[in-house]
Amino acid sequence: MNGKSPEFARRRAFLGTLLAGIGAVLGAAALYPVWRFLAPRKGAEAQDQVALSRDQVPLGGAHFFNFRGRPAVVLQTRAGHFTAFSAVCTHLGCVIQWQAAEQRFLCPCHAGLFSADGTVLGGPPPRPLESLAVTLRDDQILVG
Amino acid sequence: MSLRKLVVDWLDVRLGIRDLLEQNLTNYLLPRNINIWYTLGAVLLTLFGLQFVTGILLLVYYVPDTEQAFASVQAIMNEVPYGWLIRNLHAVGSNLIVVALLLHMLSVLFMNAYKKPRELTWLSGFLIFNLTLALCLTGYLLPWSQLSFWATTVATEAPGAIPVIGDDIVRFLRGGAMVGDTTLGRFFALHVMGLPLVFGLLVGFHLFCVRRAGVSRPPFGPDYRGEPERFTFEHEHHAGGIPFFPNYAVKDGAVICFFLAVLAALVFFAPNLFIPPSAFEPADPFVTPPRIKPEWYFLWAYQTLKVFPSELIGLGIQGVFMTLLALLPFLDRSAERRPARRPLFVVCFVLGIVVFIGISVWGHLS
Repeated sequence: MNGKSPEFARRRAFLGTLLAGIGAVLGAAALYPVWRFLAPRKGAEAQDQVALSRDQVPLGGAHFFNFRGRPAVVLQTRAGHFTAFSAVCTHLGCVIQWQAAEQRFLCPCHAGLFSADGTVLGGPPPRPLESLAVTLRDDQILVG
Repeated sequence: MSLRKLVVDWLDVRLGIRDLLEQNLTNYLLPRNINIWYTLGAVLLTLFGLQFVTGILLLVYYVPDTEQAFASVQAIMNEVPYGWLIRNLHAVGSNLIVVALLLHMLSVLFMNAYKKPRELTWLSGFLIFNLTLALCLTGYLLPWSQLSFWATTVATEAPGAIPVIGDDIVRFLRGGAMVGDTTLGRFFALHVMGLPLVFGLLVGFHLFCVRRAGVSRPPFGPDYRGEPERFTFEHEHHAGGIPFFPNYAVKDGAVICFFLAVLAALVFFAPNLFIPPSAFEPADPFVTPPRIKPEWYFLWAYQTLKVFPSELIGLGIQGVFMTLLALLPFLDRSAERRPARRPLFVVCFVLGIVVFIGISVWGHLS
């Protein structure tokens, strides 16, 4: 067989494409389960509402809890008045601390300061804390 | 095409990659009468690679703690997407590896490829075989099922028959008097890190030996000629043979595909062929399930121990047999490699297979 004939080259290209195609399909079939196996699952983070008992949040104090897989905080600034925020600092993602004496949040990473209503008082944070919806039902606080 | 040339050119300047590929693929010639049994090495390499990948994936979700191990394996099987696939590939794949290993060893034995100058290849292969069995044994415990627990109890009990130091060996293997947390800890460390590390080095050495000495010529056909007695190292060339790539690589690929198809068929249609029901109950150290048996490839050892009145004699016979097998190339020193000219060897070979199967079936039925 003449290795340089156009007929041979065409067959060769066809076979090459065919093999590459089959290889790609098989490769995808092998990688898809691995991708799904490793991909984080949504179910765990999708609890819509978190219910807390009013007793857990002291007056003038804060209570930290897990909200949809991330830390969050609920405050009781005045008697019976509750607010909730994401406890993740808007600067680089550290978790803020509640300073009861000053009634403000401090981010320990780069000294970001937030007021009790979430606005930035000082430091590097570019945005106020993300505010979360709070509803009261009987003696429960529902967040989200 | 030009991109490929660009990449190859870049690598070629730095690593001399064209020369390497030529030496090891296209200009690497194999004996003209090479047969299909020589593909089993490539098959094993593929299957071990698959174990490596699926093992790392399982490690993502497995928890090596006696309280949580069983539940974590159940979660992998029932909750993690495609977890059942990854786990079954790993568990069924290990059985297929033992099949391929036995076939590989038997073909090397039958074609007398273990003889001088390939003693080191045989010896490293023999160690790889034993390490594989150790990997199978240590991996068996990890799901912490009834099967795991009691199979490990029975397996680690065997050295207890050795006089004086037997009980200490058993305690050392288990990390305590009974199989428990400490056993899981050491078996886990061995299974995922210790054994694979040594295993990888040995496989590297084994392949180095094969490549360095050159593939043995199948001892068949009218053109076969005995090998000259050698006193210095010489790579065995096969002038006029077939190139490894593409000619033999295609055959390798075909047999690899066959084994992968068997693996897929087992995983999809008979995943529990090798997994008895006691694998689906969590381990209970106070309840021994009835009729506890080892895996099929340990049945011969299990039955040998039962047949002899003293466990020590049974262990001794296994030890002698394995030692003989390891040292075979140093004991069997004749240069003749054609099975047709070695009737005594062939009789031993066939009898060995028959006895192995016979004892295993007996062990299974008893």
